[in-house]
Amino acid sequence: MSSMTASLKNLREKPWIWSYLGMLVVWLATISFTGGKGGGDVITAALSFATFTVIVGIGQMFVITTGPGNVDLSIPANIALSGAVAMKVMGGENEMLLVGFAASMGCGLAVGIFNYSLIRVLRIPPIIATLSASFLILSTAIAYGRGLKIKPPLLLSDFTTLQIAGIPVLALFIIVVATVMSVVLNRTLYGRSVLAIGQNMRAAWLAGINVERIRFATYVLSALMAALCGFLLAGFSGGASLNMGEEYLLASIAVVVIGGTSVAGGKANVPGIWGAALFMFMLVTMLNTFGASAGIRLIMTGLIIVAVITIAGGDKPER
Amino acid sequence: MEDSKEMFKKTLLGSVALTVALSAGIASADTSDKKIALSNNYAGNSWRQAMLKSWDKVTSAAVKAGIVADAPAFTTAENQVTEQASQIQNLILEGYDAIVINAASPDALNGAVKQACDAGIVVVSFDGIVTEPCAYRIAVDFAKMGEIQVDYLARRMPKGGNLLEIRGLAGVFVDDEISAGIHKGVKNHSQFKIVGSVHGNWAQDVAQKAVAGILPSLPEVAAVVTQGGDGYGAAQAFKAAGRDTPLIIMGNREDELKWWKQQKDANGYETMSVSIAPGVSTLGFWVAQMILDGKTVPHDLTVPFLQIDQDNLEANLSNTEAGGVANVEYSLEDAKAAIK
Repeated sequence: MSSMTASLKNLREKPWIWSYLGMLVVWLATISFTGGKGGGDVITAALSFATFTVIVGIGQMFVITTGPGNVDLSIPANIALSGAVAMKVMGGENEMLLVGFAASMGCGLAVGIFNYSLIRVLRIPPIIATLSASFLILSTAIAYGRGLKIKPPLLLSDFTTLQIAGIPVLALFIIVVATVMSVVLNRTLYGRSVLAIGQNMRAAWLAGINVERIRFATYVLSALMAALCGFLLAGFSGGASLNMGEEYLLASIAVVVIGGTSVAGGKANVPGIWGAALFMFMLVTMLNTFGASAGIRLIMTGLIIVAVITIAGGDKPER
Repeated sequence: MEDSKEMFKKTLLGSVALTVALSAGIASADTSDKKIALSNNYAGNSWRQAMLKSWDKVTSAAVKAGIVADAPAFTTAENQVTEQASQIQNLILEGYDAIVINAASPDALNGAVKQACDAGIVVVSFDGIVTEPCAYRIAVDFAKMGEIQVDYLARRMPKGGNLLEIRGLAGVFVDDEISAGIHKGVKNHSQFKIVGSVHGNWAQDVAQKAVAGILPSLPEVAAVVTQGGDGYGAAQAFKAAGRDTPLIIMGNREDELKWWKQQKDANGYETMSVSIAPGVSTLGFWVAQMILDGKTVPHDLTVPFLQIDQDNLEANLSNTEAGGVANVEYSLEDAKAAIK
């Protein structure tokens, strides 16, 4: 009995486990429906597409972890702008690859600084600041947008779609990035500061943490991750388009929450983001495979997300 | 003497005035003091961008020619019914004579549209039409657009086969209509079977993702029926999965046409492409202008499709700008022909 309680407690300490369990259940349901056909291919597809959700999810996780009210809603617009700028700068030339990458990172940096200055200098709540920033960013992308859908350089599209034995190389690359980010979150001064601020901003300030500098770094980090996503996504899908970031707004928040990061801030984990992103993709795939209509699919997606959050977030606050 | 001089002067002045009035009447129609506004609910994709560009091109020429006084375009930021309803109310207050609408909803704007009609404003809806009876509708026969795809496939593949359907944005009536047309076509040609259906939201990257997800569970797919904007994404997903490229119906987007052209040159790939030209906004403009001019126009009009086939692919591709959609702009004469 006590061992069971102990193992339950152990599970509770790893809230990310639930997203992987959910993923496994959904995957088994899908391949049992198809009679075992295409099980490996589903995983390949899930890895390819989850990668992009993970990239923005990591940035969003750091933002959300800095405490209640912190969220970055400018991610979709940022993806559209930085993808478009990178594609246009490169103009399909392999030699311009690094320049294009730098250009998209530059966009991300500018967006991050802009977001934070709205929040800090004008004292606008983050939700409104990043939302209104996203209007400006998307308008910039539209104005800039003549000649969108320029083909990415061959090198970039080959790299983003490369697979070795059914495993997308880009996914491996982002797994490495996620691991680094996990170390940053748990082992570095910056990461510990983000957690501390999320738990209690005043206490963190009293403990000598430069709260505003950390928040600044966090919004910039999130914007840089969104820009990276825009760059890679444009390469992966054969060019940038204005609405290519649209679905990453809710997705970025959903994977953070399903992955076991606390919406109230102060408690985060990186592995859960991968689990949640794979889970979300496989969930839609499963319902598509079952031939569920769009209405049922959306209802089921909503219900399952609520269920996972309820199970994963069932623990009591520690303070 | 004095009298006759005065008389001559008056006659001269009068004739000058008359000439001025007459020449003005010839140079511009009766609508030269009229203002026509475009109320648009969304601008975030290439089709809508082209639609706005066509509107701007045709109306600014019309304003310069003195046919109308002004014809600005207004787009709501958030694609929401409430936002567009209040936008229409503003346009009523600003005294526009006609409002051309691409509506966010077929029925939810009816209240605002009725207010405009009651204020004596001509309302012409196109693409996203409104059902309010007082408005004019330039509707697209979306169901037909789905049906002709399957008709085409039946000619190309008499033996039939499995179809993958890529739908649009769930909950939008356009998506339901096109899909209903496709299903009707499949009913008429029973050799075809829809083995999978995903929502691609008319966007290439969303379609690519959805198709990549469902492909592993599907048997061999002979053809993909689409709604436009999703064909290139589907092609990418088939390629990534290492499957043979099926016959994919295209939707007139530049990336789709370009890909088709590449395949055509490489291996003689054959398909067709169908969509609505974004320039239909300019048809809306001319219809509004004609109504203001006192002409009788039926309340329900249908827009012709812009269909691209194997032999006119190159011509259409060269007319389509990078990142855009194959387009046709309407002239007053085209509009007159369309309402007959």
